[in-house]
Amino acid sequence: MSQLPERINTDHENVERGLASLVLTIIELLRQLMERQALRRIERGDLADEQVERMGRTFMALEQRMNELCDQFGLTAEDLDIDLGPLGPLLGNDFDGSG
Amino acid sequence: MGEQHVVWLYAVTRRLDVARFPATTGVAREPVRIVEAADLMAVVGSVGAGEFGEDALRRNLEDLAWLEATARAHDAVVDIVNHFGPTVPLRLATVYHDDDSVRASLVAHRGEFDTALRRVTGRTEWGVKGYADPDSIANHSVEEQVGDVGEGTAYLLRRRARLSALQAAESEAAAKAHRIHEALSRIAVVAKRQPVPHAELLHKRAKIVLNGTYLVDNERADEFADTVRTLDDQHPGIELDLTGPWPPYSFAGVDQMSP
Repeated sequence: MSQLPERINTDHENVERGLASLVLTIIELLRQLMERQALRRIERGDLADEQVERMGRTFMALEQRMNELCDQFGLTAEDLDIDLGPLGPLLGNDFDGSG
Repeated sequence: MGEQHVVWLYAVTRRLDVARFPATTGVAREPVRIVEAADLMAVVGSVGAGEFGEDALRRNLEDLAWLEATARAHDAVVDIVNHFGPTVPLRLATVYHDDDSVRASLVAHRGEFDTALRRVTGRTEWGVKGYADPDSIANHSVEEQVGDVGEGTAYLLRRRARLSALQAAESEAAAKAHRIHEALSRIAVVAKRQPVPHAELLHKRAKIVLNGTYLVDNERADEFADTVRTLDDQHPGIELDLTGPWPPYSFAGVDQMSP
């Protein structure tokens, strides 16, 4: 007779990696959305040069940090994408760590 | 007493050379047999109601492993029948109570079967998938001359150039897919663009921009294949994949038939 295990065997590293990929997916989605918003504002020309420069550096640092975190958890761009079925992939092929 | 049986329908055809038809087994490894009515032949098998009855089916169709094995077995039978002549393949899980209800259905839907069989006679279904090469899309990101600006500004300008290059590459790929489909449609008798399977898209990292099915006169099959090759050469960045011959699943058009 099979019994329910008394506790679920949670491989500590696996759980951490799963959580990291979920969190990083959301951060990456937000990063892309904010970046697009910033690019739209630049196109409208309602930002001062120094504001643009500051934003650019922020996005650059954010991307670099994302890549570091991905490396740290052994995640690739594909790991962060989520298949939304008929809506297609969440992040698409825009994010490839080289942009 | 054996268990209750229902009748699983694979395909409907006009004339089958029964003597030459090989001993074939179907979705339940049951021997496949023929039920005749209205000058039509239905290729069927008796399958256990415990696995293929209405309630069991509803459960089993959600079991992906079961579904895959059943779909393969169903398709294998349809494929054999298709080699013997014009065939109307039936949708997976077309199930009847007994042989009499199969015969009644053949009589009731005689007109639709006749039309469908006429449409596929002497013709074959081919599939063409077009993949947009992801590298060629990515390589579109040109190094934009950004002039004398700060590091952060230069970064944003590069990102903007990349995003608009991606957009341009995607709409170009879509336009090419449209032209390819138009060219193939001129050779085909009937052509359809199917929705793009997304799971496959993620798996291959290549964007599917065309998923077409074409019903082609058999005399023009070579010309069709040649045209696919030519179009493949003429459209760099798009890779075309020709599959078939298929049973005319996309064009027989009686799959809404209810028992």
